Amino acid sequence: MKLTLEMKNIVKRFPGVLANDHVSLTIQAGEIHALVGENGAGKSTLMQILYGFHAMDSGEIFVDSRPVHLSSPKDAIALGIGMVHQEFMLVQTFSVVENIVLGLSEGAGMLDLPRAASRMRDLSDRYGLALDPFAKVGALPTGVQQRVEILKLLYRDASLLILDEPTAVLTPGEKDRLFAVLNELRQGGHSIVIVTHKLNEIMELANRVTVMRDGRALGTKSVRSTSQQELAQLMIGRDVRLHAVKLGSRFGEPILRVEELCVADDADVEKVHGVSLQVRAGEIFGIAGVDGNGQSELAEAILHLRKMRSGRIFLAGTDATQMSVAERRAKGISYVPANRRQMGSVTEMTVADNAVLGLQRRYTRGLFRSVRDARHSAHRLAERFGIRGAGIDSPAGKLSGGNLQKLIVGREITCGASVLVVEQPTRGLDVGAVESVWKELLLARQEGKAVLLISTEMEELLNLADRIAVLFDGRIVGVFDAPFRSVDQIGLLMAGIAPSGLSTRLASQENRT
Amino acid sequence: MNGHSIVVSAFLVAWVSASLRLAGPVLVAALGETFAEQSGILNVGIEGTILLGALASFLASHRTGMVWTSLLVATLVGVAANLFLAWMYVSVRASQVITGLVFNVLALGLATTVYRLALGHSAAPESIAVFQPLRVPVIARIPFVGPVISQPAPFYLTLLLAVVSQVVLYRTDFGLALRATGENPAAADSAGISVERMRYLGTLLSGAGAGMAGGYLVLAQVGLFRETIVAGQGFIALAIVIFGRWNPLKATLAALVFGACDALQLSLQIFGTRVPPQLLLALPYLVTILAISGLFGNRAVPPAALMKPYVKD
Amino acid sequence: MTKLFERRLAPADSPLAVAGTTTLALFAAMAVAAIFFRYYGVSPIQAYFGLFHEPFATLHGFGYALVRAAPLALVALGTIVSWRSGFYYLGFEGCFVMGAAAAGWLSLSTAPGARLGPLPFALFLPLAVLFSWTVGGLWAGLVAFVRVRLGGNEVLISLMSNYVARLFLQYLVSGPLRAPGSQPETTLLPRGTWLPFLFPGTRGHAGILVAVVAALFVWATLQKLPLGYELIVTGFNPAAARYAGIEVGRRMMLAGFFAGGLGALAGMAEALGSQHRLMDGISGNMGFVGIIVALLSRLNPLATVPVALVYGGMAVGADAMQRRASIPSSITFILESLAILLVLASDILRFYRLNFSVLGRFKWRVSRSQDPA
Repeated sequence: MKLTLEMKNIVKRFPGVLANDHVSLTIQAGEIHALVGENGAGKSTLMQILYGFHAMDSGEIFVDSRPVHLSSPKDAIALGIGMVHQEFMLVQTFSVVENIVLGLSEGAGMLDLPRAASRMRDLSDRYGLALDPFAKVGALPTGVQQRVEILKLLYRDASLLILDEPTAVLTPGEKDRLFAVLNELRQGGHSIVIVTHKLNEIMELANRVTVMRDGRALGTKSVRSTSQQELAQLMIGRDVRLHAVKLGSRFGEPILRVEELCVADDADVEKVHGVSLQVRAGEIFGIAGVDGNGQSELAEAILHLRKMRSGRIFLAGTDATQMSVAERRAKGISYVPANRRQMGSVTEMTVADNAVLGLQRRYTRGLFRSVRDARHSAHRLAERFGIRGAGIDSPAGKLSGGNLQKLIVGREITCGASVLVVEQPTRGLDVGAVESVWKELLLARQEGKAVLLISTEMEELLNLADRIAVLFDGRIVGVFDAPFRSVDQIGLLMAGIAPSGLSTRLASQENRT
Repeated sequence: MNGHSIVVSAFLVAWVSASLRLAGPVLVAALGETFAEQSGILNVGIEGTILLGALASFLASHRTGMVWTSLLVATLVGVAANLFLAWMYVSVRASQVITGLVFNVLALGLATTVYRLALGHSAAPESIAVFQPLRVPVIARIPFVGPVISQPAPFYLTLLLAVVSQVVLYRTDFGLALRATGENPAAADSAGISVERMRYLGTLLSGAGAGMAGGYLVLAQVGLFRETIVAGQGFIALAIVIFGRWNPLKATLAALVFGACDALQLSLQIFGTRVPPQLLLALPYLVTILAISGLFGNRAVPPAALMKPYVKD
Repeated sequence: MTKLFERRLAPADSPLAVAGTTTLALFAAMAVAAIFFRYYGVSPIQAYFGLFHEPFATLHGFGYALVRAAPLALVALGTIVSWRSGFYYLGFEGCFVMGAAAAGWLSLSTAPGARLGPLPFALFLPLAVLFSWTVGGLWAGLVAFVRVRLGGNEVLISLMSNYVARLFLQYLVSGPLRAPGSQPETTLLPRGTWLPFLFPGTRGHAGILVAVVAALFVWATLQKLPLGYELIVTGFNPAAARYAGIEVGRRMMLAGFFAGGLGALAGMAEALGSQHRLMDGISGNMGFVGIIVALLSRLNPLATVPVALVYGGMAVGADAMQRRASIPSSITFILESLAILLVLASDILRFYRLNFSVLGRFKWRVSRSQDPA
């Protein structure tokens, strides 16, 4: 059962980036080891190499001091190494037990699901992972699906479990249950690697922590001998607090008003329950909340990219509820979506073509497109926002995440809209790009635009917003004005806990009656 | 029985019997294609593969006079042809629809050319060895059931294959692995299943089905080879897979419906109607279009990864 | 240790690499077809010479090449318009047939004593174009409607619809429009409705001009009009298109209508310019070969006419070969389809780098293209 692991001098290159630069890591038996770093630090890549998903370019791996060669997940499983990915590797249309036995054999042998189910029940009882073997995975909540993933590993006698950003999609209650399970596993002698960027969780759970930055491992510390501040500094490499210089602002009339908005997601589950808000000219209105509480649905409904069940939207005083996307854009609203490659740009088209995405009917001379004006605009964007990495006639897909985001943000800010809806604008960007985007958003605010900023990063909201509303479970559960003194309160609301200690659901019900 | 009801019952017998007979080839092609689509591959090339199988079975029967061998040859030719298609779909990751479509033109060219080559300067043979309808001794005499049940052997083989396919797909480890590849290839990969291998196998199985369908057409239905012998039945098989919700037993029912439409044109001749024959010939295609237009009932949900090439990133 | 074939991280995409692998693919296709020529005892060089000599070295043959090229180019243009907007329409055989039927019916209606009576050509041609275009456009537009509003699979539905259209034409020429006699075809269309011949002594007709005009029109629309930009965005990324305010469904239906119209013009050109009557099988598989032409043109409208000329010329050469040497013209199907299949397959070659240094003393390394190192 017990297993020790050593990874030595791992190197892995992808087109354009050195993901792992001579990284070394040791995991002891019976420990919970945290692997921390920002987005793009190389943590996920390292673990995917360990799991056999990717081949490393060079380096050595030792399991129990024996050198091993991992060319596929099968090899890793055979050695007792298992991984729970950030995006679950589950077949939604299969039952729980079918997912668990998947891959154990591919022959013509008959499935014996009842036997597998009973073995599964033994394991789940032992570690506190309650599961119904024959439930369809697609119908289970996220926290339960994660249990299936963990059970999959235990069923295959995994001794080392790798969890990639396990709490990203969990509610606070589910997180507690997960931690309980992990503790149980540690006591049973299993080793666990948690890949994360959430420092507060490590402090309460892990034995040791290794920090990665820019593809390099910066060293391993015991959790007891360090602090969140120290770890954060190692992760980012400089003083954590980014300060944005925010001038005072005179707020004008509300340009964007949302009334009792109810929106359902693709599975027709209502995700936004009666949200009302308004954003004034010259203000940045921030919406805080853990991913998955209805943010995307809210933003998309405001743009008419998603149908709303009920509610009304007003743009500059006019009822825009029935207006199409094009009409709303014409009325002066623009949008930086969370998904830059799937929605915010067309990666197969040139940078110049992307510079006018959404504005194609404006860049015309008479009946015809003005390609010249479009390229001119692209040049201006590239200059002002520092977009590098590809010429304006290259496919936009060649731009790095940061540069592509600068293109999109630049386009939406300069298109003359009076309302800017911005969702996760700095996700996956390096520090330089983040500063650049923050600067532009503040400039937009200075120019009198109304900015709705939806973000999961507290630091971003604290630096930029004039007001912060917390979105939890599709409802606004609290609104705070700058300066934000009660950051803890905001955090609690994000976790669904109202100030008086009651859950926010009860609190808001009380408020209604 | 008066004269009218004699005609009606003659019509019914002819119709049902023909329905079963005509459903056979599209069903066996659809069964094979079900495996391909459950693994995530849409194989439009089965139309051409059926043609190649038909030619192969014709030539084999012409040379050897042995029907079962010829059917086997047809099946193997289908598998061989789909080896190329599988390579294009899985390894080259070319667009599946385009590849399949162009392959159909290639198959037409190959079949026509090889047919002329093989015949040389001699005229087309009058007949070749074919499957005769099975006559079960006692049952064959029962008035209605007898003639309907007397189908050529490949029909019963096809029914057997439908049952076997259902079991393999839903009750074996292989079937589970295959279906996972079509629903969530990343999950299958992560579980240690070779997505490439599963998709190759799925495509080869569809080739086997299509090849056998070609042999069925020549050896148990038409009796000769013509370049126009397939006439879109490959595409109908694709529709049957959708209509049957990617499930072999439901596909069998769907195939019978299509066989019935196809047979209607033949059997209505008993009544000597004035309906233009083209309308009846168009009926199977029209019914297919309606069936997959999304007009009726809940939209069929295909395997989630159908037609999406799998790239590890 | 360097291997002979080393896998790159990203495919080489310089124009030289693309041209190199494409040429290799074409040669490979020609080599396979050569096998069949050998079977007939013809040397491949002779065969290929014969294939291209007739259509490109003789005026007479060139005229026929123009005849074959016009409908192919028009179908290719229809393919480009629909596929680039994300609407995978494959029903051009049907559009072709419906377009031919429409033009043929109109033409027969101008026979002396018929419904419309003789019309001046200057009036007839625009009417014929309009009528054919509309019929074809509605034919394809209906499938687009089903795809956009009902979610039906346009690939299969359009394939099925080809058979329905062909049967419809079969019905027309065996019944209502049939000429007296036992052949399922119409009478000869009135002389005043024929497309004019371009060069005296050849059969090359004005249909090729229609194709050229259409090619320019399609190119201009896609490159120069905002509508074209919107179609292209829709084809690449429907989610981004919606984000940009583009009505994806409407664009697709418009593209479908447009594409159907182009396919129908192909049929009109064949009926009024070449066959001068309607008969079963008038499309001659051109609805599919035209798609292949579009693929080989890499979905670029300006390339369709030249590529269609090559394929049209090959068909003419193949017919000549069949007449003179009894080699079946179906070999050209093999050549045409294998060419595009191998070109598609050759794309994976660009993922590999050839290391000749492994072979021995010579230290130079040949890359399949310029290395962006």
